[in-house]
Amino acid sequence: MIKDKEIEEWRRLDNSAKIFPISTGKKYSTVFRLSAVLKEEINPETLRQAVKIALNKFESFKVKMKKGFFWYYFEKNNKKPIIEKEKNYPCKYIDPKTNNQYLFKVTYFEKKINIDVFHSLTDGNSATNFFKEIIYTYIELSHPEKFNKEYRVDRKIKYNTEDSYIKNYDKKSKNNNTNRKAYILSGKKIPLGGISVIHEIINIKQLKEVCQKYNVTITQYLTAVLIYSIYEGNYKKARGKRPIKICIPVNLKKYFNSITISNFFSYITVEADMKNEKTSFEEILDLVKNEFSKKLTETEIQKTMSANVKLGNNIFIKLIPLFLKKPIVKLSYIEIRKYTTATFSNIGRIGIIGEYQKYINNFLFLIAPEQVEKIKCSACSFEDKIVFTFTSILNNTNIEKNFYEFLIKQNINVEIESNGVLDVISSKN
Amino acid sequence: MLYPQKISAKKCNFIKRLLIVITVLISIILIIINKLTTPKIPWAALSIAGMIYIWVTAIYSINRNTNIASHVLVQIIIISILVVYIDYTLGFKRWSINIAIPILIMTANVAMLVLTIVSHKKYIKYAIYQLIIFLLSIVPIFIIINSGVQKNILNIIAVSIATLSFFVCIILCGKDMKEEIIRKFHT
Repeated sequence: MIKDKEIEEWRRLDNSAKIFPISTGKKYSTVFRLSAVLKEEINPETLRQAVKIALNKFESFKVKMKKGFFWYYFEKNNKKPIIEKEKNYPCKYIDPKTNNQYLFKVTYFEKKINIDVFHSLTDGNSATNFFKEIIYTYIELSHPEKFNKEYRVDRKIKYNTEDSYIKNYDKKSKNNNTNRKAYILSGKKIPLGGISVIHEIINIKQLKEVCQKYNVTITQYLTAVLIYSIYEGNYKKARGKRPIKICIPVNLKKYFNSITISNFFSYITVEADMKNEKTSFEEILDLVKNEFSKKLTETEIQKTMSANVKLGNNIFIKLIPLFLKKPIVKLSYIEIRKYTTATFSNIGRIGIIGEYQKYINNFLFLIAPEQVEKIKCSACSFEDKIVFTFTSILNNTNIEKNFYEFLIKQNINVEIESNGVLDVISSKN
Repeated sequence: MLYPQKISAKKCNFIKRLLIVITVLISIILIIINKLTTPKIPWAALSIAGMIYIWVTAIYSINRNTNIASHVLVQIIIISILVVYIDYTLGFKRWSINIAIPILIMTANVAMLVLTIVSHKKYIKYAIYQLIIFLLSIVPIFIIINSGVQKNILNIIAVSIATLSFFVCIILCGKDMKEEIIRKFHT
């Protein structure tokens, strides 16, 4: 990778990143995970080398977080990153003290390489680029005889660490959204801070055919299936009165032509108000389609983004000392999170250069659930599969089961993989 | 298999909890013995204060094992509190303010001066602590001016050493100090 200029010894956190270290804790980690399932056992020493080489190309990840008087900031980290065998639940809080102060953690298990990333560092899009570099390098080091010529010579990407929020927000933009609290998922939680992971590996060709039939995108379709599964699996039983609201993160880099490696995302909230006793899937899908066409426009995204930037740029908020900001933000975040039932983040296709594809089985993307948003969903696709992942702290799999059964009824092949915490639908495989 | 089946569950820090229980038990025993034997001399309170000092130092050392300057700062604060408390418990003869704290300030500033000279390349790490130590070190001036503390030579020497150390640091590493202030106070 080519950088615009030499990395600074320190840098400010971008507008989104500022809020994460203030609001985060052991129960609210704001960590997401990318995994690559290879076709061979992982060699820890080779992985260690691969991370070292990749990190030298992505120096913006070589940082630690420091406390300032008003905000946190990043400072260069000269320590070695720690590479370990996976031994904990995914997306857990990354304790800098036990991680050589790095804000990401690389682990491995059998044929799988994971990277857990604290959201302050970057968003899913940029983390994917860094992770791909690790995977490319790992494969090259593992098979030096096959990769004696440079396959990636023309694949250099330019990046910078600018705060694209500040650069692109509209000072005059007004967000007129009137917000209603969302339906919050209820149920018994998994004990001892456990996280259940269920991957639903979907045949992308069959899924596309169904989407074409309804004239919707894959994200719209899966969002509708998710809402329908929540409706059938939790909402009806709990006699929910508030709307089911799904938060969909949006990658702003393509909207604003940004090459930043820092966070640059916003979100839209898809709201489904279940007024009728019996709401059909088709009705929900129509609703989702309308919500997307209404909210996924440059003007609407600009409004949401600008409102958030203006809040972070408010002089009174800026001048509150960090030790006072922490309790204020933590309390307000508990309230803010009540406006979302669940999050569904789709990072799309993970493009891998042909020569390397044959060494990789699959990619996985996971986001951390928390006390209010008890289920989080994520998806990514590779070759002919899309992996839809549920990460949950709920001690039942009603929603995951409904999701699976619905897709099967639509004649879409779905395979299940899980971390075995709640092995209920794994038996269907 | 994609995930390990045996997850390392939350390990409770057994040793830490055991040490806390032992500390509390010893404290209770000391208070009882003190009350039963020599109730007029509060030696148990002094012993407990000492134990609290050890705990604060140990916890800080475990959590923040990177920056020596931060240890100097923490020590200057907690030892000051400890000596003032001991002085107060023994009848407040002001030896803590007239003798102990000035010696503490001198030691801390000399330590910071040595740190600056020995590792001025890493000075940016120490800059903010140096600034806070200096600000704490000149507090005795205000005490001397505004209260009945004896204008003893030790206090004057301590403040002089602090000022000298601070100016030496500014001359040697003023740029780093400015940079660190920008970092720490950016909005």
